[in-house]
Amino acid sequence: MRRLICLAAAVALATTGCAAERAAGGGDAVAGVTATTIKIAGILTKTSASGYSTKDAEIGARARFERANATGGVNGRTIEFAGAEDDNQDAAKGDAAAKKLVQRDKVFALVPVHAPNFGGAVFLERTRVPWFGWATGPQWCGTTTGFGYNGCLAPAPGAGSQTWWGHQMAALLGGARGRTVYVQTSDSSGSKYGGKTISQSFQAAGFEVVGLNSGLPGAAPPPDWLPYVNKIMTSNGGKPPDVLVSIIAGTKFNTGLYSALKKAGYRGVLTDATSYDAAILRDPATAQALEGVIAAPMFEPFESDAPEIAQLRADVEKTAPGTTLTQHLAIGYWAADIFLKILQQTGKDVTREKFLAIANGGFSYANPGFGRITYPKDHTEPNGCGALVKLEGGVFKVARNMKCFDNVPLK
Amino acid sequence: MTELFGYLLSGLVTGAVFAVMASGLTLSYSATGVFNFAHGAIGFLGALVFFELNVGVGWPAWAAGAVAVAVFSPALGYVLHRAMFRGLARAGETAQIVGTIGLTIALPALGLLLVDLVAEPLGLPRADATSLPHGLGPYPAETFTFGGIRLDSDQLITFAFAALAAAGLWAFMRLTPYGLRMRASVDRRRLATLRGIDADACSAVAWVLSSTLAGLAGVLAVATLGLDSTAFTVLLFVSATAAVFGRLRSIPWTFAAGLALGVVQNLVAGYADFAEDITGLRTAVPVILLFAGLVLLNRSKERVAGSVAEDSPPPDHLAGLPSWRRRLPWALALAVLLLWTLTRPADDFYVGVVAQGLVLALIFCSFVVVTGIGGMVNLAQASFAAMAALTCGWAFSSGWPFALAIGLGVLGATAVGVLVALPALRLGRRVLTLATLALALLADQVLFQVDAFSNGTIGWPLPAIGFGFADTTDPRVRVVLLLALIGLVGLLVRNLERSASGRAILAVRSAPAAATTSGISAPRTKIMLFALASATAGLGGVLYATSKGSVTATDLPAFAGFVWLAVVVLQGVRRIGGAVLGGLIAAIFPELLAGWDVSAHVGAILFGTGGMILARHPDGVLAQLAELRHRRRLRRARVVVGGTRPEPRTTAPARDGGQGLRDAALAGSPVAGNGGPEIRDVAPARGLFRLEGVVAGYGEVAVLRGVDLVVRPGEVVALLGVNGAGKSTTCAVAAGDVPVTAGGVFLDGTDLTTWPAHRRARAGVLLAPEGRGVFPGLTVEENLRTWLADPDPVYQRLPQLARRRGLAAGVLSGGEQQLLTLAPALIRPPLVLIADEPSLGLAPLVAEQIFEVFAELRERGVALLLVEEKATSVLELADTVAFMRLGRVTWTGPRADVDAERLTAAYLGVS
Repeated sequence: MRRLICLAAAVALATTGCAAERAAGGGDAVAGVTATTIKIAGILTKTSASGYSTKDAEIGARARFERANATGGVNGRTIEFAGAEDDNQDAAKGDAAAKKLVQRDKVFALVPVHAPNFGGAVFLERTRVPWFGWATGPQWCGTTTGFGYNGCLAPAPGAGSQTWWGHQMAALLGGARGRTVYVQTSDSSGSKYGGKTISQSFQAAGFEVVGLNSGLPGAAPPPDWLPYVNKIMTSNGGKPPDVLVSIIAGTKFNTGLYSALKKAGYRGVLTDATSYDAAILRDPATAQALEGVIAAPMFEPFESDAPEIAQLRADVEKTAPGTTLTQHLAIGYWAADIFLKILQQTGKDVTREKFLAIANGGFSYANPGFGRITYPKDHTEPNGCGALVKLEGGVFKVARNMKCFDNVPLK
Repeated sequence: MTELFGYLLSGLVTGAVFAVMASGLTLSYSATGVFNFAHGAIGFLGALVFFELNVGVGWPAWAAGAVAVAVFSPALGYVLHRAMFRGLARAGETAQIVGTIGLTIALPALGLLLVDLVAEPLGLPRADATSLPHGLGPYPAETFTFGGIRLDSDQLITFAFAALAAAGLWAFMRLTPYGLRMRASVDRRRLATLRGIDADACSAVAWVLSSTLAGLAGVLAVATLGLDSTAFTVLLFVSATAAVFGRLRSIPWTFAAGLALGVVQNLVAGYADFAEDITGLRTAVPVILLFAGLVLLNRSKERVAGSVAEDSPPPDHLAGLPSWRRRLPWALALAVLLLWTLTRPADDFYVGVVAQGLVLALIFCSFVVVTGIGGMVNLAQASFAAMAALTCGWAFSSGWPFALAIGLGVLGATAVGVLVALPALRLGRRVLTLATLALALLADQVLFQVDAFSNGTIGWPLPAIGFGFADTTDPRVRVVLLLALIGLVGLLVRNLERSASGRAILAVRSAPAAATTSGISAPRTKIMLFALASATAGLGGVLYATSKGSVTATDLPAFAGFVWLAVVVLQGVRRIGGAVLGGLIAAIFPELLAGWDVSAHVGAILFGTGGMILARHPDGVLAQLAELRHRRRLRRARVVVGGTRPEPRTTAPARDGGQGLRDAALAGSPVAGNGGPEIRDVAPARGLFRLEGVVAGYGEVAVLRGVDLVVRPGEVVALLGVNGAGKSTTCAVAAGDVPVTAGGVFLDGTDLTTWPAHRRARAGVLLAPEGRGVFPGLTVEENLRTWLADPDPVYQRLPQLARRRGLAAGVLSGGEQQLLTLAPALIRPPLVLIADEPSLGLAPLVAEQIFEVFAELRERGVALLLVEEKATSVLELADTVAFMRLGRVTWTGPRADVDAERLTAAYLGVS
């Protein structure tokens, strides 16, 4: 046994050496680009200690790339999609994965990058490698190489902050005047930041924010919802608010909060950003707890009758038949879509510098699937577009189609 | 008022889960001395099984719950006991912590991997954050209202099960023989084995029970927590707080503290709005309480009962080698590494990986200082690294020159290290470990959430370190720089070990009390170690951040520190080499795994198995390599000499056949004068006890060099000799407390040599050890029950014990304790009674009473082996006298042949 361990350690070291030898060589003019192909790979949080997973983004991106390849590729080159690395929601692993893909595997760009704690941003910016995905973290914002499919969602104070959620909700409820909103976040700086931007979104639309509570423990749902529910139920001058916005990640959190609220007699509107999830419908009790909730996806809902969504469904069905459509899948799909658009505009002679120059030189692209995107503006602020979906009778229904609104400066 | 009452009531329900979890933690800790960090992970696995059976297979909740709690969890506890905990109990504190931390990572990974594998073919749901486990009650839960307070069915069930668990646990510990045995082995493990209690089996029971409690807590909590192993780890930390308030000993107090914690959390959530501005403060309330509890309640002066582990350094098997030969492998490896690095291109991926490994290695060097040399386990090392990196980033962004910013970062970490060391001065070692854990969590949850310090979630950018001709964006430069820095730390460590203060540190580590009496300042050395270690970790943290280009509050989470410690200890924490190897493996191994395209769970599982290896070889891979080499040499040396070493017991069985009978026949003659016919009535010629050519010792030091001794039924053999002659070791060998390397121990011709102590005791070989053979924490009654089913006859014989039957044995007088030790033997005589210094420290009158007991036992046919330094009193009683000197019996003969001259000769060593 002991010998085995030592051997294993020795072999481990030796193998690295061998692998290093294998990787040597290469060094073409443009990394990842040949006369007929362009090599692309992504980084996702496929597995994590908390169970959070964005792995569906790989299917979405693959579906989009396969359609591009089926229609003759981009400027005569097909996309060689090498799949996505897993960063385990660990910043260091994300950094290592980015280095591996760029330095060893020589990919041209990273698509999709969808990892909440992505750690490779500085490296990618320094090596001028484009990366596309969902820009939920501040590491994306202010870079020239990180392209959020719907802009930067963590703008710095002073930069534009979204108002679409508030406006869409006002439109849905028939006006914001006289309506009150309570925002519930958890006790971490990330969640508090979300609470700030979303309060501002509802204020911009004319709602009155009567409470912003960040008391929920961040790591695990509280075993007892009573104190939080009591606060909400009395926030509007002793009465419950008209709208409750929940900025807490995880179905377990939201089901817990909503069930407790409903039991306490809450009859107002419940809305959050994460409940648009087909997995919820599989469990009758959760579906019941979330019944009536208004989810706020940042892409056109799958139930929409827009032709772009029909195309998305067809693409996914062709690549991975029977796949359930999820938020992460849509993000992967639209990130790939935007990348292809820029690649097409870059023309036949592809270099990273040229690609970035095109992308950051006033590139603008509108698509009903995600609204519109404009770089470099959307390197520092969100694109300001979103939709609303309502869970009604156990099925999701489009409440408001994708629409864009003007951002306001973040306080 | 209803609101407050509602918070209290529903807080109690929440607290019930903490209480169940925490009482399992306290139970296993007090019974085995292992603080199980994986307790939450066991709960997670229980919950996972419950979820898959209930939601996946579709069993009713009660059946799934019963299987998960009453079948799966106990079985898991037993398997873990066999595979790991049994070895860990003797492995030293560092190995214990690391082993269970390994399990924390490996167990959930194993469960999730298995679910992943069987999910597809069996059609089970995968277990991730989206899975929605149900509670034990009806689903969805029904709500009941009690005087305006709503409680749902799951909450009521939780409370009921917690109450049942508490009552059941109490009854088990107080009313059953298993409970008594367990408490006895918690009280004095060694003595318990000498009383025929299988301490190992007791540990097994403790782990099975503790695991069941963890499983119960997991099943009860999963409906609210979800299947998230991190949430279960958080649950464990809260439970640890409750366990600490139970002083890690008292299950009732632990239980009460768990309930109270639930209430406190509710009150904080309900009323502590003033804390809103400090992000994380309310979440961190249990951690703050944990820290307070540790500092206030656990200033333990003594080691906790049951911790048999000692952290003595392993023998240095390479000590005989010249220094160039010791360094040769490292020098070669260094040369190869440098050569390889300098021939790679600047953007080479693998050089980057090696550089990352060396950054970790530099941080890991801090473990060598604080744990390897100082013997203190610090779980906050990642927080020191993060602190330095964040301070440096803050200073640089505020316009400081980069070099100064780095200096400030390192200084900051050093200062915090000293601050941590201050409570460490007053705390015992395990408590210190928990305190650093609390600090690490506090840093994560509160300090790093302060926006001004960590710049929110954005963090600080950090430039590369430039040297004019090159800068650290080139990984080759990083490799060279880091090698130089690690070399520097290595030199520092070596000087530290060789200097006066270094020797002082080592002295403090191996014998704190002795060190203090020798005038060595333990506090000063501890503070120095902490300062040095945190400076090293801080420097490593800054370099980690510069090579990444930025630092955020979540880059170096507290949990990373636990994993790091485990990696270093696996390689060997006493040498810089272990840190370097650990750093490289930590960086390279995940790359390899990713390259082989295996599930990320596999890496976690492999890491956890490292913990199991550690249970067997607590000093890590490097020490193991040296030991292997040493053994190989020894074997070779033996072959050369030609097998002159006595082969143990190869001839013993052959001789055994007839000799037992012959001895029994012989036995009559010397005894006849004393015993008379009634001896044969009670113990007819049984109980012939023989040591034959016994060679034994501790480690490679032989104490007994061939002891032959025979004790016949109804005979008193007095074993006399000077201090250090080997008398106590002879007793220990006879009772099975010390293993023999050659020779054998026989009872009536049966070879007992390989029997463990508890089995020998059950066969009738009883040792009353030196000092008092009582369990001080148990009552007189319970003490007697460890050997007797019914203690009443003892009370009739010894009324003074009857009057004190309800008192703890520890409060009895010395004489009463010795009576209590021997009293059970009067009622249920053993075949052989070995008494080591029975009259030590007793008043003459009491000693006389003790010797009367021996005389009575002889009358009843017991074979008695008495060890005494004071020869006079025992000589009055003895039939046969044996003198020992330098590990051998030098003379044996009837008492009549002992005269003053022979006695003097024996004691003065003249033969």
